Amino acid sequence: MTALVTLERASFSYPGAARPALAEVSLELAPGEVVVVTGPAGAGTSTLLLVASGFAPRVVGGTLTGTRRIAARRCGLVFARPWTQLTGLCSTVRDEVAFGPASLGLPREAVLAAAARALDLLHVGQLADREPTELSGGELQRVVVAAALALAPEVLALDDPAAELDPEAADALYAALPPLAASGTAVLLATPDLQRAARVATRAVEMADGRVVASGAPAEVLSGTEVARLARAAGCPPPYPIDAAALVRRVAP
Amino acid sequence: MDVRLAGVRYSYGSAEAVRGVDLVLEAGEQVALLGPNGAGKTTLTRLLVALRRPSAGRVTVGDWEVARRRPDEMARRVGYVFQHADQQLFARSIEEDVAFGPRCLGRRKPPVGEVLEELGLAPLAGLHPYDVPAPTRKLVALAGVLAMEPRVLVLDEPTAGLDHVQRDAAIAALRRRGGDGVTILAVSHDLGFVADAADRTVVMRDGRIVEDRPARELLYDREALRRLGLRPPATVEVGEALGLPGRPVRSVEVVEAMRGIRWRQAPV
Repeated sequence: MTALVTLERASFSYPGAARPALAEVSLELAPGEVVVVTGPAGAGTSTLLLVASGFAPRVVGGTLTGTRRIAARRCGLVFARPWTQLTGLCSTVRDEVAFGPASLGLPREAVLAAAARALDLLHVGQLADREPTELSGGELQRVVVAAALALAPEVLALDDPAAELDPEAADALYAALPPLAASGTAVLLATPDLQRAARVATRAVEMADGRVVASGAPAEVLSGTEVARLARAAGCPPPYPIDAAALVRRVAP
Repeated sequence: MDVRLAGVRYSYGSAEAVRGVDLVLEAGEQVALLGPNGAGKTTLTRLLVALRRPSAGRVTVGDWEVARRRPDEMARRVGYVFQHADQQLFARSIEEDVAFGPRCLGRRKPPVGEVLEELGLAPLAGLHPYDVPAPTRKLVALAGVLAMEPRVLVLDEPTAGLDHVQRDAAIAALRRRGGDGVTILAVSHDLGFVADAADRTVVMRDGRIVEDRPARELLYDREALRRLGLRPPATVEVGEALGLPGRPVRSVEVVEAMRGIRWRQAPV
């Protein structure tokens, strides 16, 4: 299948930075994939999302070298800090979510339908008449994801989208990703929540110091789940089981 | 230092966010405040530091009635880390930022270097706070608050987005403060953090407290967790799956309880 985004030995430096935030990263994103990107703070996961979705250097400045091809017609990006993403122009959540499709010049009915669909998918339809700046952190995070979805992007990059969600809302958000991918969207997800990520990922990428250090099946790459860390600390030999069911299978009778 | 709320209410216009909360945190207790988005958790924490005034009821921290104090006075007793910690960083370097709070309080020898070391921030001390990733800035905000050596810590989602090394450092730092008798109230959705850092869990829903139990009890109560829309933390999932004795909830307890296990190699 044709890749929606291709990076070949792509390196990126922020303006004025002494060293690159991304160093020679190669990555392909195809329709239907949910690719989880993980790594310690400063590993470059957020930067990878910015570069892969076309927002860096176009919006944030900086220098990109190597090859980047973006075949997707539209890329959506949700920042780790949702309040930085509000338009500041809309007095209701409905208008906020409709802002993207409206700016594409779609007819009014299509704009409103796209907004309603996106709000429903994130279970925040009941917030439609609220003032965006008065939402709780978790409510705002879901509204911002809905605003990105309303644009029907072919690539959706999500930077720790459940950081402020309660567990039920986080589960609901993660559960929405496989169907979205099945409809042809490629999802690129950066998160330290490996336990949830392991449930939805089709592929996982681990980064460190701006480089991709591992890439492959989630069960192999996501060795940093809580369960895996407990198993490792208790002396279980590698590869470490990523969830409790896998752990039980590793206990000798 | 103890924290007491009696009949506390708070409204944003016509929307009542806190609807009659009675809660006592004894000195040195480590308490997690849980609940769905919009339950009133953040609003409640703001009432503890005079950033909001209750529309009814009374909040006291030690012998201070919070409604009669200004936020800067409250900072002498209560350290507060915002949900969006970027709001509380402004200096040109991480070290300056961490030193700012204790300087304002007139502290002679604040433990700035020690706290930076403790949270793994020492190598970043000279950087601008905005040149480190957003989750790391949350850790910087926590460092700033710890350097003020408050007797009460109120933390809104202190571990959101942290990697596991940072998270472990934050947990260890909070446990150390708890051991020194600091009262801690932490709003969190991260039940792994709750399992490791809290002994008591208070759950809010629709502006009210609906559960108040030892963490060990709530985290092993599948039915209560389901009702609250929560999933047990990995430590409890492992404890249950392996039938570990004594209901271990903290990572160290679970690892200790797994010590005797004989492992088999992974199937090829």
